[in-house]
Amino acid sequence: MIDLYKKKSALLAMFVIFIAGCATPNTGYYWENYSGTLYNYKKNPDDKTMDKHMVMLQNIINKNESKGARVPPGIHAELGYMFAKKGENALAAEQFQKEMKVYPESKNFIERIYQMLELEGDN
Amino acid sequence: MKSIFLLIVCSIFIASCGTTQTKLEAYPAMYDQRQPLSILVIPAINNSTAAEATDYFNVTISEPLSNTGYYTMPVEIVRDIFLKEGIVDSAMVKGMPASIFKKNFGADAVLFVTINSWDKNYAVISANVTVSLDYVLLSTTTNEVIWSYSSTVVLDTTAQSSGFIVADLISTAISTAAADYVPLAQQANYQAFVGLPHGKYSLRHGQDGQDSINTELKDSALAKE
Repeated sequence: MIDLYKKKSALLAMFVIFIAGCATPNTGYYWENYSGTLYNYKKNPDDKTMDKHMVMLQNIINKNESKGARVPPGIHAELGYMFAKKGENALAAEQFQKEMKVYPESKNFIERIYQMLELEGDN
Repeated sequence: MKSIFLLIVCSIFIASCGTTQTKLEAYPAMYDQRQPLSILVIPAINNSTAAEATDYFNVTISEPLSNTGYYTMPVEIVRDIFLKEGIVDSAMVKGMPASIFKKNFGADAVLFVTINSWDKNYAVISANVTVSLDYVLLSTTTNEVIWSYSSTVVLDTTAQSSGFIVADLISTAISTAAADYVPLAQQANYQAFVGLPHGKYSLRHGQDGQDSINTELKDSALAKE
């Protein structure tokens, strides 16, 4: 009986923490450590920090997709941009297409990125 | 970590003592067809004495702004496009009509952010950093200000005490110098967007009109324009 009571109060405590966690604005996106790897890349831009941030972007995509959440704005675009910097134009285009599919309002922005990269856009 | 939350709670509490308005009264344009779907964040204008503040700010804004329900264009890509166009300083963008960003980027609104202070304070055995930011959101259709807010956050960067005051003095100085400011910048951004009406991608879209905001924080962001 006492055990059951303990279980109940633990559950209640978890529930309170859960509700408290909802206080920040939330759309249900999973960002992982996006800011951390982006900052490291900005601070020391080299192949190592770039690859780490690209892995992070891919993780963010996988996590949101596996949880049934929308991939956060700009993540596909950023990964595409980094692929383009590496000369992986096909992979870049694939990510840009995905960004426009999830967020149709990004079309002009993606076109602008193509222009900057002087790539042939087929959108 | 505890003290960060305490300070934030305190500052929210203090902030709430001023004159308040509902979000609907304060930002009517955010509740009709003028509400933006996509936002272009202009790389921050840094008026603080800390040159490194810009990077901390730019890498932490997408997350809280997107979580409030908006399509946010990655700041780093925007910055590269600007550089290619010869815009090396965001202050140059201020004089341009916002409609340019509708035409060239498809953005419904542009967000200007000014870093006013990023001050590291050292006391005997304690240290903290104060960050003050001003946010002004302009419609690219009407060129009008549709949202503004100020955010100030204080982060305690004091190192854990070793019991020896000289050692503490040294470690406090080191910890303030090398503190990880990414979470701090993130907190400052999160706190500002508490005042932002939720956008289309948020579950609270259209339901926060009766939430109250501090009128002084809304006005002070505009006063320094």
